[in-house]
Amino acid sequence: MLEIRNLCKSFGALKAADDVSLTVERGTIHALIGPNGAGKTTLIALLSGYLQPSSGTMTFDGQDLLAIPTHLRPHAGLVRSFQITSVFPEMSVRENVCLVLQSFAGQARSLFRLADADRAEQEEAEAMLARVGLIDQADALTGNLAHGQKRQVEIAMALAARPKLLLLDEPTAGMGVEESRRIMDLLEDLRESVTMLLVEHDMDVVFGLADRVSVLVYGKVIASDTPGRIRVNADVREAYLGDHELHGEAG
Amino acid sequence: MRYTHHLRFMLGCLAALLILPFVLQATGSSYLISTATRLVVFAIAAVSLDLLIGYAGLVSFGHAAFLGVGAYTVGILSFHAYEETTLIGLPGSLSGLVALPLALALSALAALVVGALSLRTRGVYFIMITLSFGQMLFFLFVSLEQYGGDDGMMMFEGRNTLPLLDLNDRVSFYYFCLAWFVLFFWFCTWLVRSKFGRTLAAIKQNQDRLSSIGINAYWAKLQVFVIAGVGAGLAGALSANHTEFVSPALTHWTRSGDLMIVVILGGMGTLVGPVLGTFLFLLLEEFLPLILRGLGLGLLSEHWRFVFGPILILVVLYAKTGLYGLIFPRRD
Repeated sequence: MLEIRNLCKSFGALKAADDVSLTVERGTIHALIGPNGAGKTTLIALLSGYLQPSSGTMTFDGQDLLAIPTHLRPHAGLVRSFQITSVFPEMSVRENVCLVLQSFAGQARSLFRLADADRAEQEEAEAMLARVGLIDQADALTGNLAHGQKRQVEIAMALAARPKLLLLDEPTAGMGVEESRRIMDLLEDLRESVTMLLVEHDMDVVFGLADRVSVLVYGKVIASDTPGRIRVNADVREAYLGDHELHGEAG
Repeated sequence: MRYTHHLRFMLGCLAALLILPFVLQATGSSYLISTATRLVVFAIAAVSLDLLIGYAGLVSFGHAAFLGVGAYTVGILSFHAYEETTLIGLPGSLSGLVALPLALALSALAALVVGALSLRTRGVYFIMITLSFGQMLFFLFVSLEQYGGDDGMMMFEGRNTLPLLDLNDRVSFYYFCLAWFVLFFWFCTWLVRSKFGRTLAAIKQNQDRLSSIGINAYWAKLQVFVIAGVGAGLAGALSANHTEFVSPALTHWTRSGDLMIVVILGGMGTLVGPVLGTFLFLLLEEFLPLILRGLGLGLLSEHWRFVFGPILILVVLYAKTGLYGLIFPRRD
C-alpha cells in the first residue's frame, strides 16, 4: 500500500527524516512510535504533501506520491488527521464533516447547490458523527467544543474522506478514557476497510491495535517488527520503551 | 427570529428603493434621483468587495481597478462610435447589448490575470500586490492620451442604447441600475449560502487545512476573485453610463480605499451591511460639507473627510459589525 524508500528531510542541520524506509502493508494497522522530536509528525507531513522531502521516494498504491499535488492526495485515497487539532471553528460540527463530503463529491466550488439544502450529505455527515460518538453535538459550533471533542471531529472528517490509507497523528491525544476507548473500537472496526499508519504515544493504543510497529528515533527507523517483538527489542527498550515502563503510561 | 427580521428589513429596503423616484418627484427633489442611482451602482461594487473581504478573508486593496475596466470598456466603445474610428480593426459601439457584456467579460479577464498572480500571496503581501495592480491600471488609464489621459473623457454620444428602454431618461436609468443591483445582490446571497460559499468560509477560517480535505484553495479563491471583479466591472460600466464620463480617478487607490471603508462601515460578511455603508458614505459625502458649511465651519466643509475620519473610527470601535450590527444586534 505504501512504500517509503530512503526518505530524507533536513531543516538546516537537523535531520528530521534520515534515510527512512518503511513499508505499510494493505489492510494492516501500522503504528509509528518514538520519543518526542523523533520526526513522526514530519513523516506524516511528508506523506501528506505539507512538506517536500530533500530526497527519497514514496509510492502509494502503485503511484509515485511526489507526482501527486498535495490537495489531490486525499482524492487518491491518502488522508491525514492532525495532531494539533485543525478544524473550522466557526462552522457547526456537522458542517465540518459536510465540507469534507462536498469536497469528495467534487462540489467544493459548486454554485448550483445550496449548502444546507443537501439532505443526503447531511445524513451522511450525521452517520459519521454517530460513529465517532459526537452526534449530540452536531449543531454545536466546533470552536466551542472541548479539546477531546474536537479530536473526534478530526476523526469524523478523516473518515468522511473515505480513505484507503489513513494517516493518524496521535488520534487519541487529549481525549478522555471513554472517548479514547471509543476511537480505538472504531479504528478496530475500520481495520478491514482502511489501512492505517498510526502515530501514537499511548502504548495501550499502540499494542492494542497495531499489527506492526516501527520505531523512529532522531529521524531514523531503528526497528520495524510485530508488537510482540518490538516489546522485547533491546534497542527499542533503551531508546524509548524503557522510560514508559518505568514511568507508566505516556502523556 | 433573526432570519425573518432580516428578510423583512431587506424587503422594506427594496420597496423603499422601488418607490424612491416617485417620492423624490412628488417632493420636487428629483435631482436626487441621480444620487440614488449612484448609490445603487456603488452598492454593487461594495457588495462584490464584501465577497472577498467578508466571506473569503481576502483583503483586496485594488478593487477599483475593475471599476475602471468596466467603465473604460463602455467609454472607449463610445469614443470610437463617436469618432467613427476603429480599435484593432473593431468599430466602436453605443449599444448596451455590446458594451455591457464586453465590459463584464473584460473585467472578468482582468480579475483572472490579477487574481492568478496576486492570490499566490497571502496577508499583507496580498494587500500590497492588489494595491500595486490597482495602481498599475490607474497609470495605464492615465497614459491613454487618446482617451483623455488623466483628464478622462466625456461620452459625447450619451448613454448606451438599449431596445425598448431609454437610458437617457433618469428614472428609467435608475430602475435599470436597480435591476442590476437586485440581480447581483440576489446572486451573492445565493453564492454565500452555496457549497462554494461554504468552501469560502473554510478558507477564511483555516486555509491550511483545505488541501488535507482535497480542496485546492487557490482555485476557489480565484473563482471568487473573478466573480467579485465582474461585480465591480458591472458597477464601473453602469457608472460610466450614469455620469457619461470616464476618468482614471475611478481607479485611483483612494477609490479602492473608499470601497473598503464602505464594507467595514456597513459590516463585513453581511452583504446588506456594505449597501448600508454605501448609503451612509454617499450621504455623508454629499451632505456633510453642506452641514458643516451650515454650521459655519466653511473650512472643514472643504476637508469633510477630516470629520468623516473620526466618525469612521467611532463606528469601527463601537459597532464591530458595522451598521449591520447596529440594526441586527446579536442576541446570542
